[in-house]
Amino acid sequence: MSVPVPELLSAAPVPEAAVEVVHGPGGRATGWLRSAEIAIPGAILLVLLFGCFIWPVVYPVPKPTGGSLLTTNLPLWSHGHIFGTDIVGNDIMSRILYGGRVSFEVAAAVQVIGLVIGGVFGIVAGYRGGTLEAVMMRVLDVFIAFPSLVLVLAIADSLGPSETHVIWALSAFSIPAFARVARAATLRLRDQPFVVAARLSGTKSWRIQFLHIFPNMLPQLLTFSLLGASITIILEGALDFLGYGIPPPGASWGNMIAAGQSFISVAPRFVVVPSIFLFVTTLSMNLLGDGLRARWGVR
Amino acid sequence: MLWGVTFLTFLVLNALPGDAASALLGINATPAEIRTFSIKLHLNDPLFVRYGHWLGDVVTGNLGTSLASPQSVASMLGQRLPVTLELVVYALIITFAVSIPLAVLCARRPRGVIDRLSMVLSMAGISVAPYVLALLLVIVFAVDMSVFPAIGYQSISQGLAGNLRDMTLPSIVIALPLTAFYTRFLRADLLEQMQSEDYIITARAKGLSLWRVLTQHALRNSFIGLLTIIGLNLATLIGSTVIVEQIFSLPGIGYELLQAISNRDVPVVEGIVLVFGAAVVLANLLTDLLYSVLDPRIRHVRSRT
Repeated sequence: MSVPVPELLSAAPVPEAAVEVVHGPGGRATGWLRSAEIAIPGAILLVLLFGCFIWPVVYPVPKPTGGSLLTTNLPLWSHGHIFGTDIVGNDIMSRILYGGRVSFEVAAAVQVIGLVIGGVFGIVAGYRGGTLEAVMMRVLDVFIAFPSLVLVLAIADSLGPSETHVIWALSAFSIPAFARVARAATLRLRDQPFVVAARLSGTKSWRIQFLHIFPNMLPQLLTFSLLGASITIILEGALDFLGYGIPPPGASWGNMIAAGQSFISVAPRFVVVPSIFLFVTTLSMNLLGDGLRARWGVR
Repeated sequence: MLWGVTFLTFLVLNALPGDAASALLGINATPAEIRTFSIKLHLNDPLFVRYGHWLGDVVTGNLGTSLASPQSVASMLGQRLPVTLELVVYALIITFAVSIPLAVLCARRPRGVIDRLSMVLSMAGISVAPYVLALLLVIVFAVDMSVFPAIGYQSISQGLAGNLRDMTLPSIVIALPLTAFYTRFLRADLLEQMQSEDYIITARAKGLSLWRVLTQHALRNSFIGLLTIIGLNLATLIGSTVIVEQIFSLPGIGYELLQAISNRDVPVVEGIVLVFGAAVVLANLLTDLLYSVLDPRIRHVRSRT
């Protein structure tokens, strides 16, 4: 026997595994583990959202800007400043909370813009077909082959740094991506019996597109937008890093990390603290997106 | 395709407020100086006339000269391109060297220790921002351990060892998210094949070991999917080189691009975008050609039609 027994055993339960493929390739854990896959990252995100948006309103958090020069560079766990203060005396914890607001706002806005504009674009292209689709897809191809960062940098550079401009610049990434996903989903749904039935009963084509096809691809678009949100948050930070993001007196995770880069050898915590928050947020979004994808059985 | 990309760049750069003349001459320039400078560089011609000139020059192999310095765009690209190219190639080598064996190990025992561990790690790898990773590596390897330098660049001609030492951290930063992504993709693809494909069952039935089936039958088929993804990822890869070059101060194309954009140096930006676009198109062409090398089925369909 050249084949060891354990290997045969591990390959044996083929039928069982084949059933699982319906839910998602790779085979996933079942039962409580699967709900934990969604509950844990979901809970983390809720806590972060609460901390960023509601906590500063109900609890007297120090202001994120205009800190006193008498209390600069306090270490971690100082009295009144759990994460210490930065080089100009601002409370780091409060900058994290207010910076998180920026990250979440930008992520949400960019996803909504992408979902609406890209979604309509993709559905119309996929449903109509023909020359219109060919032209639309060509335009999209150009956008996708085009290194979007060039576009984003050009937009951000000329509009000047501000949160709204960052949102528009980053939408250059999300719109083509959503359009692609929406088109692929439309092509899959277009000839399904329920769409054919609607068409045969004389439903107007815009109604079919937005009341029949769109709700059916919504789970897919939602999980996609969670993954997209994590990418958006990372890119927002990248813009801060290159100097095209949120202008420095205001707080954002990206510009905290960027500002901390100069002090990396003396006070690594300026970089490490916001990095941890950034990482936990993007990781939770990815895990939640992945978990929901498995739960809803979308690819 | 390339035409669309360059035209779009031209359009975007021209539609934006701010112009090269005032950006280059600085805030102390008088309106008269700006005017003569603009006329000298043909900045006052209509958009389409300028694009036509530029396109005509490019077709004859002339990329023009930079507005900011007397250097020609071609020679500038010649200087900067090798740095970025080396970065990308080094990063891809690391990526494949890690992700392919790892994916095979994962697929060998799904839900085993290696599989679970690497899935957790790869999720982290996908979620981590490149600049966070870069600074983390700098803290650990440059500040605490002083193994690699934090910033700086030595070209290969100045010494291979120094060059590799400077390029290692930047390449790892680019390679890690890619590795994570490819490992996940390859693992899923391998598992799907192992569960459903006839040729796998045949191979197993004739007594080949699991290892052999994985590496020689399944892996070969997975390369096709992998190739597609690499082609699609290229634009993103280029994006991350811009950030990494900025952090590690590598004199590559991304570094140049940032300067050119803030100077409104249209010929340089156009040249760089052209190179990026050409790289994407070439990669897609290469992917198509490699398909038929890797998969005889595609070759046969082609020859019959």
